Amino acid sequence: METDALALSLTYQFGTNAAFLFLAALGLIVILGMMNIINLAHGELMMMGAYVATITHNQLGLPFPLAVIVSFFAVAFFGAILELLIVRRFYGRELGALVVTWGISLILGQGTLLVFGPFMEAIKIPGGSYSYGGFSYSEYWLILIAISIALIAGLYWLYRYTNYGLQARATMQNAEMAKALGVPTNHVYTLTFSLGAGLAGLSGALLAPTSTIAPFMGQQFVAPAFITVVVGGAANVISGAVGSSVLLSAIKTPIGMAYGAFLGTVALLVASLIIIRIMPDGISAAIQKLMDRRRTRNTK
Amino acid sequence: MKNDNKPDQPAKESTSEETTGIVGPNITRRTFLKGSAAVSAGAIAPMYLAGISKSFAAKGGAVKIGHIEDLSGNLAVYGIQKDHAAQLAVSEINAGLTLKGGPIGSGGLGAMSNHATSAPVMGNGDKDLKVVNDGGKLSASGMAFVEDEDVLVDSGESGILGREVELLNTDGQSNNNIWQQLTKKLIQEDKVDCLVAGFTSAEREAIRPIVDQFKQLYIYTNQYEGGVADSNTFCTGAICEQQVIPVVDYMIQKFGPRVYTIAADYNFGQLTAAWTRAFAPQVGGEIIGEEFVPLSVSDFTTSIAKVQAAKPDWVFTLLVGSNQSNYYPQAAATGLKYPMASTVNMAQGYEHRRFKAPSLDRMHNCVNYIEEIPTARNRAFVKRWYKMFPDDPYIGQMAQNTYFSIHMYAKAARIAGTTDQEEVKRALESGLHIEAPEGTVFMEPSTHHCSHYIRLATADADHNVSFVREWPSIQPWWLQRLGVNLVKHKEYKQYIPDEDPFFKS
Repeated sequence: METDALALSLTYQFGTNAAFLFLAALGLIVILGMMNIINLAHGELMMMGAYVATITHNQLGLPFPLAVIVSFFAVAFFGAILELLIVRRFYGRELGALVVTWGISLILGQGTLLVFGPFMEAIKIPGGSYSYGGFSYSEYWLILIAISIALIAGLYWLYRYTNYGLQARATMQNAEMAKALGVPTNHVYTLTFSLGAGLAGLSGALLAPTSTIAPFMGQQFVAPAFITVVVGGAANVISGAVGSSVLLSAIKTPIGMAYGAFLGTVALLVASLIIIRIMPDGISAAIQKLMDRRRTRNTK
Repeated sequence: MKNDNKPDQPAKESTSEETTGIVGPNITRRTFLKGSAAVSAGAIAPMYLAGISKSFAAKGGAVKIGHIEDLSGNLAVYGIQKDHAAQLAVSEINAGLTLKGGPIGSGGLGAMSNHATSAPVMGNGDKDLKVVNDGGKLSASGMAFVEDEDVLVDSGESGILGREVELLNTDGQSNNNIWQQLTKKLIQEDKVDCLVAGFTSAEREAIRPIVDQFKQLYIYTNQYEGGVADSNTFCTGAICEQQVIPVVDYMIQKFGPRVYTIAADYNFGQLTAAWTRAFAPQVGGEIIGEEFVPLSVSDFTTSIAKVQAAKPDWVFTLLVGSNQSNYYPQAAATGLKYPMASTVNMAQGYEHRRFKAPSLDRMHNCVNYIEEIPTARNRAFVKRWYKMFPDDPYIGQMAQNTYFSIHMYAKAARIAGTTDQEEVKRALESGLHIEAPEGTVFMEPSTHHCSHYIRLATADADHNVSFVREWPSIQPWWLQRLGVNLVKHKEYKQYIPDEDPFFKS
């Protein structure tokens, strides 16, 4: 009974930790993973999503699911403008992009502070809670885990089975060649950046009820997001991010439960360090290598 | 009150009046007392200031008050409040206003303030305690109590010593390196007469060595873990013996002995937790679990499960910064329903206003200030504040501390008759009291800490704040216990509970 309850609680914690890492990384998967832009404004894009959701839900009275969808489109639109005006000038100049997105993040954070003040009224966490054997479970986090799985499937479908997905993968792999073959690469870039921004906004809105709505709230997501994407690697960003959030959560959860949040965080960082050391191109590259080897062995 | 006016130094007869505002180095606390004895309660402008007209009469440029708080970053929510508090206080000083108060003569605190003092009431059930109900009405009280209509009175001059006060307010950006740079700049380039700064203990410890290097008069206005014994530093916030002990005592009596502490992982959280660990056994409590959470953590799933696994009677939350306040909505959504206590939450980051009810249900905090205090003087203060800053969301504990601290500095400079920092430090050691919005505050000379009016505030399921107990004056007694006497012996360190044999048992 006791061990039952503990095992169930650990499973739940594992799920929420993985979902948190995945949602934090969601927009960055596209922008850093695919476009190779070190986007330091990632947290601020998530913050914008949270603000849009808070304003439309709390002040305009929109139902929360609708507010989340509005956040996606609002931040995606903002991302498109950002790409057209600024980011587009920095493709292929990674360090330039790093500095410019950092500047954007400062402007967005401080601008929000000036316009909206240090805090917004929080969104009430939807749903209730279940309890079993001394531990209890938040309905909303269970929904977030389900949404994360749905988003993984959706992203996979988008990049695998749609025309845009094909063009995007072609553009990111070899823009010159794609252009020669008639792919409107400029459009693809704008669309991809805007999608990444929108996804950041979406996850910001989804995580908003669990968080303080404040101008610098985005910064809490930046480190987990970068760790997740970098550990995941660029060979296949979606499977990489899924793999790394699952693996890191599997390390962080039991250690955090046994030794506290501090050592849980330390374990997560040490694990990332080791993974990057033994798999320099990330989990997804390692998986791919493994699969290639198996394939060549089968053909022999 | 025992320490304020022992005639331990020979009194010199040279008083500071009718000079150009420069006081000789021989002035003692005794002389300050003499000077102020002639002044009736309330009006504290010393005699030598009488007749100065309300324009900035004296030459010598503005009196510069350096102010550093975090106006951006993770801690901006507190810093902006404190910055506004400084602006309000400076504008009042320049407009010729001051809070009541002054050095205390042989009658002790009761002679000039609004209530006779008594020892802190603790652990005595409800029978001896004064209870304030929601509407602010006092019930059953054995204590003489007079409520002031207004504690803001005419100071008889504009600014300080006829000089305009200039506030140099800067933004520490929640970054300790920037705090150090700004401190050096304010001291060396701007040559401020007084430095008022500091939110986290990490920020304070980052700048305190610089303060000591330049012997800068420094006022730290935050509530904190206590223990700083520094000749240049005056701490005007409440400390552990004023906050932790009353609240732990109350919680153990009311909810039970099993305590779980979840605290921010830096010196404030660690040391406050150490206090709790040391003190809980003395009142029959037991710490059954402790967790220290890094400031960057914002997902509390595992921490919440750990609390549930420990099954405490109540939870002591010492969480700092906007990331960590996520604990409350997350715990509420997970169905965590333990009573909570804190020394920081609610009174600083107004979590009870920001988060939807019932996230803060049954939160208890022994505060020296909270906006909801129902006294007339506080209502007047709140009204003044929102007149100047109509868009502000809340007035927190530290904001009030900054506010009265700057008024206290002005008082000390007037008593010293100069802004010379060593003289003002000595004036601050003269046994000053000030009528702050919270109630009477007394600057205890030997430890450079303040006695405070402490109230136990609690939030209900709808996040309405009520006060279940109050202690009109709790002394900062711990450093006294350790034998700290900054008037006689200079020190520049921070003591921790482990250094007190009392806590080792």
